[in-house]
Amino acid sequence: MAGSFCQHHASREVGITQQLLEIRHLQIDFVQGHSRSRAASDVSFGVGSGEILCVVGESGSGKSITALSILGLLNRQGRVSGGEILFEGKNLLDMKEEELDRIRGTGIAMIFQDIMYSLNPVFTIGMQLTEGMIRHRGISRKEAWAEGIRLLERTGIRNAPQVMKKYPHMLSGGMRQRVMIAMALSCRPKLLIADEPTTALDVTIQYQIMELLRSLRDETGMSILLITHDLGVVAEMADRVVVMYAGQCIEEAPLAELLEHPAHAYTQSLMRAVPGIHDDRSHLLYSIPGYVPQEYGEMQGCRFAPRCPKGAECPIRSLEEWREIRPGHRTRCWIEGGAGDDR
Amino acid sequence: MIDEMAVLEVRHISKDYRISGENSLIAKTFHAVEDVSLSVRKGETFGIVGESGCGKSTLARLMVCLEKPTSGEVLFQGMRMDTMPEGQLRRVRPRFQMVFQDSGSSLNPRKRVQDILREPMLYHRIGNRQQVDRRVDELLEMVGLPVEMKDRYPHAFSGGQRQRICIARALSLNPDVIVLDEPVSALDVSVQAQILNLLRELQEKLGLTYVFIGHGLGAVHYVSHRIAVMYLGQIVEYGSSDELFDHPAHPYTKALLDAAPVAQVDARDRIRTSLKGEMDEEPPRGACPLFNRCPFADASCEKFENRMREIAPGHFTVCSRAKEG
Repeated sequence: MAGSFCQHHASREVGITQQLLEIRHLQIDFVQGHSRSRAASDVSFGVGSGEILCVVGESGSGKSITALSILGLLNRQGRVSGGEILFEGKNLLDMKEEELDRIRGTGIAMIFQDIMYSLNPVFTIGMQLTEGMIRHRGISRKEAWAEGIRLLERTGIRNAPQVMKKYPHMLSGGMRQRVMIAMALSCRPKLLIADEPTTALDVTIQYQIMELLRSLRDETGMSILLITHDLGVVAEMADRVVVMYAGQCIEEAPLAELLEHPAHAYTQSLMRAVPGIHDDRSHLLYSIPGYVPQEYGEMQGCRFAPRCPKGAECPIRSLEEWREIRPGHRTRCWIEGGAGDDR
Repeated sequence: MIDEMAVLEVRHISKDYRISGENSLIAKTFHAVEDVSLSVRKGETFGIVGESGCGKSTLARLMVCLEKPTSGEVLFQGMRMDTMPEGQLRRVRPRFQMVFQDSGSSLNPRKRVQDILREPMLYHRIGNRQQVDRRVDELLEMVGLPVEMKDRYPHAFSGGQRQRICIARALSLNPDVIVLDEPVSALDVSVQAQILNLLRELQEKLGLTYVFIGHGLGAVHYVSHRIAVMYLGQIVEYGSSDELFDHPAHPYTKALLDAAPVAQVDARDRIRTSLKGEMDEEPPRGACPLFNRCPFADASCEKFENRMREIAPGHFTVCSRAKEG
């Protein structure tokens, strides 16, 4: 693991070249009858090998849609209308269904927030866990079963042989998420996409799952693309962070850099709006006025401007433009000083 | 704990549910709430935190008499509520209201906002038509919604706005106490702060008393004056918000606070109390409920008495090994 991690750091110095996954100018539309609305526009980021990249944003930011589009899992209304998604240099969007099917599981695996509906209620854990291995790795049922028990044990499930015979409803939420993780790992993916994996769990269980994901990364050297709304989870997990707002990436930075010097007015506001457990309670909590825009198709310039404390001073820039603050840290906020840039 | 200033009080309250067993048809008893006593003072916010399944929502429903306790007493301004006949209870009900987590399903999708707000007043026969109409406008203004929106249906509002409607409805009857069951858990961070601020503003303006239930520790800490921590149906520790969060005494409280992710650079490196396993493992008979999972448990924890001990002024815990002072 140490090797791949260093390699990743090295690759960042030279610029983003050796990325495992690279999304370039991705654009996703929702089509309903004759109307089209844009769910994501110009989403670009890369995940290095062995890296944990967190994509953070509120609902409607386009983060989950982006994650789903990677594996071609958008439902009928969602359409990728531009850009490319490169996995090991190959564009996933150009692939035929059979090719993509090979990538699913062995190349990229995904776990979801909805632990309730991600497992089939009428099959045992064992059957669901071994299915992928038999299909993608071509091993026998018996081997797969033994491997399944090992995987469950690795994710911290006690008496795994009994759990293999149980049905999903017999397990707690934390256990189900462990099963999902075991299932995702069963075909040894190079990239794990985790869409809000701990949101439905209690904090003490959330902590256990985060520890588990981190140690799995260290052990196997796989990359993790973690989608979350919680800056706390980001601080616990990420190597690098991408912030999304209203269907757009608005800031990107290594973790420490983002937490200490957030540059986008939205990132800053988000950090101030979360009440900490040791904060002074005598003041009113900082809150961002207004709501996340639902429609932003034709919006010019910064999409946060209507809610931004310095929105009035904001010089209108085109959506594509980034401002580089330091190597590896870029933002789409163009307000100098004040609402950003403390250097 | 007998409290002179108490508005709402529960004494040794328990709630059992009968459930059918996993592998048999024989019904088992599930203790959702077990021997809980607490009192909520006038004008304060009493926070209750705990993980899912710990009984905090059941406790909330017991406090507003949506459920009858299996044993114990519920008192509202000294009146026994749990034994009160339904007709009489209906007359007291306007004085304590509830707001739920899921604002989407607690508003009737086929009613306009003004009808939703009007309904409680019509049901309790408060005011004439003009008075009710005026009150609707006043309520919308109070929760920060444009009055012009009163003709719209709930689906036209965002999650945060819908929660404002729920709060307005709870306020419509001029209650003394509002029980808020995870009112901000389903909301985005930026909207969450707006609702928390609104709740505090309304409390100051109207002298309301809140019972605030949540699992987001930061949010509960922000609005609450006192906080109780629940685990497996029991309160394991309570005290003033700052005291409790700065000097947690019960291992469960410590673990809960340590597990909460913090958006700070060195968050990963802090030393934490962590629990083993999950909540569904039953502790041995007569032992402390946390016995299986507690990193500090020793032989003395096998004999457990559910009795609160004061370890600092106003700070109580059931843990026998918690240090005083």
